[in-house]
Amino acid sequence: MVDARSDAPDHTRPIPDPSAGAAVYRQHARDWLAANLPDFMRTDSLNWREATLQEHCDWEAALYRAGLAGMTWPKAYGGHGLTLREHLAVNKEIGALPMPESANSIGKELAGPIIMTVGTEEQKTAFLPAILRMQEIWCQGFSEPDAGSDLARLRTKAVQEGGHWRINGQKIWTSGAAKAQYCLLLTRTGSVEDRHRGLLMFAVPMQTPGIRVVPITSIDGKQSFAEVFFDDVIVPDSARLGAPDEGWSAAIRVLSIERATNRMYRPWRFACELRQMIAACQSDAQLRAALEDGDVQRQIGELVCAVDGLKGLVEWTVDCLMQGDAIGARGSLTKLYWSECHQRFAGLALALMAQVGPHSSREAQRAQQVFTHTYLHARAETIYAGTTEVQLDVIAQRILNLPRDTA
Amino acid sequence: MNTTDTELHPAEFAQAAEAAIARAMTQTDPRAMLADLAQAGLCGVMAAPEDGGLGLDLAFALPIAKAAGRLRLPLPLAEHMLLAHAFAATPHAAALAAGDALGSIAWHGSVQTGRVRLDRGPADWVLVADGAGATLLDMRNAPAAAKTVQSLLDPDHPQIWIALDQAPVLAQLDAAAWTALQRQAHLLLAQTVHGAAEGALQAAADYMATRVQFGRALSAKQAVRHHLARMRLLQEVSHAAIHRAMTRDEFGAMRDARPVLAGAIQNAVFVTEKAIHLHGGMGFTWELPLHRNLRMVRKFDAAFGSLARDVGRTFIQSASV
Repeated sequence: MVDARSDAPDHTRPIPDPSAGAAVYRQHARDWLAANLPDFMRTDSLNWREATLQEHCDWEAALYRAGLAGMTWPKAYGGHGLTLREHLAVNKEIGALPMPESANSIGKELAGPIIMTVGTEEQKTAFLPAILRMQEIWCQGFSEPDAGSDLARLRTKAVQEGGHWRINGQKIWTSGAAKAQYCLLLTRTGSVEDRHRGLLMFAVPMQTPGIRVVPITSIDGKQSFAEVFFDDVIVPDSARLGAPDEGWSAAIRVLSIERATNRMYRPWRFACELRQMIAACQSDAQLRAALEDGDVQRQIGELVCAVDGLKGLVEWTVDCLMQGDAIGARGSLTKLYWSECHQRFAGLALALMAQVGPHSSREAQRAQQVFTHTYLHARAETIYAGTTEVQLDVIAQRILNLPRDTA
Repeated sequence: MNTTDTELHPAEFAQAAEAAIARAMTQTDPRAMLADLAQAGLCGVMAAPEDGGLGLDLAFALPIAKAAGRLRLPLPLAEHMLLAHAFAATPHAAALAAGDALGSIAWHGSVQTGRVRLDRGPADWVLVADGAGATLLDMRNAPAAAKTVQSLLDPDHPQIWIALDQAPVLAQLDAAAWTALQRQAHLLLAQTVHGAAEGALQAAADYMATRVQFGRALSAKQAVRHHLARMRLLQEVSHAAIHRAMTRDEFGAMRDARPVLAGAIQNAVFVTEKAIHLHGGMGFTWELPLHRNLRMVRKFDAAFGSLARDVGRTFIQSASV
């Protein structure tokens, strides 16, 4: 296993030349992951334990050094300068193993692409490599108590005072706020009546005086998100990401692409979870019998079909982007489909694991832990990143071109 | 077959195919319909030029299959096109490409069971699984007593049970050829059922845009918009899955087509049933042809209803290794 704590590039398996093709890159990812994923991080391992934040960071930094993260980012900002084709190939291998989610998905999937679009050269140089090296973790300060899906009702206010900005307001459902070094903060410069006009985005250090993080306990008993209060928080003008309106309109563009391309590994991970569930059943005489049930076989088959369709959506999106075609609102199709697909899987897994008790195999008991958590956590998946209803509205309006509901 | 910029592309082929099928469907006799399709080159689209075909690949047959579904063509055109390709360099391929005989595949039953069911219309020649590969049987002279028409699901285009007793054997496919043929058939049939559902969705979206209630078009109401959005989603999923299965993975491996067909059928059932629901009382009438889409889709379900379970069983076995 590589020393994940080292800052040195990982030369144990050289990063392949992308001209060698996606197959070579995918094989590189497969080999590297098989050799380096710590056993305790595998959710199917009996040796699994919750990784510390430092262990998460070390692991993801090692992934980056091995050429398996930051793939499409420009080399000038620490990326590997590759295409979505290699990114997809790597994601298939990442999905095929039961490994933890990124501790810095906001940094890699949201803040980074937005900074790349509207940031100054200084901001790009300062922030982007640090995100990939897992030196700076980001959280997302968009939602507010009265502005969830409807961000036009945002109230957090930024007032310019000479060379700095004074920020007051409250954010909520901020994932990872307690561990983040930076917040991608959305504010408004005018009044609520301005709706989507005058929205301004900042990169705010979480250690800035006046920021208070109050953790919220979520459905799974963890404190993975929080309320964040901003009381007379002063940030320099250099923390601003783009001009008023510019940052937000860039965010909208980035979000529409990110919704379709982030965590591309999902369908391969869902297939991995299905295999994990089946392996747990096979380990236990009582559960094994369930796999002989025709209705269970049908339900698993239908999930395999759905995962296959989801792979189709992901690969179709990559094809479109690689050909330079606009994907429009296609991200809403993918988001809606994966979130409901995963909830269906989680429901089946929970039902199958219902028979597990102290008499069951250790693998089955471990699977029951994993899938109970999966089931609970999946409740959030049709809520965050645009609820099911928001996605349906987007599909109705922008793909089907149906008139708006004006009632 | 590779195409160059100066050659025909599948997308361009789609329009011509749809027009040809629409023209053929003005005929009422299935053989006359078949003759028109053959005249337009659709029967032999995949057949070798030596057999009178166009020698095009599966990508060109896909838009034909979709149009056949959308227009509710009451013939097994997907199967017919494949048989004309599979029996290349035989007189059977030439006859199929010319439309002199109507070919189909029995998706229910086998030579061993001695009885098969045709779910997709009449046929002269029927390919039947025989345990090793598949056997092409000549049913043209089968006695009337050998055929039982089952019209409950579709009185206009009924399912037909056929006893195989003493049906003459025309040709055989070995196991590898039969497996390859089934894979192609799964994709073409997925495209056909996807087309049938697309027609239903289009009809529902058009109707909802024009039907006004309480002063607004129905498609402006959120509940209706969300129904239509879900239908669009599932259609996009079927389309993307078919597209993906037409390509190989990074390592050159071919993708399994069975989940594609099983998924397309599930999605089509949802879309078509919802399209009928959204039409309200009109959807329940004989006059509105959506029930024909539903009957077509449900006959696919009858033919391949166990496919999802087979996919599940295969996945369980592969995960247990």
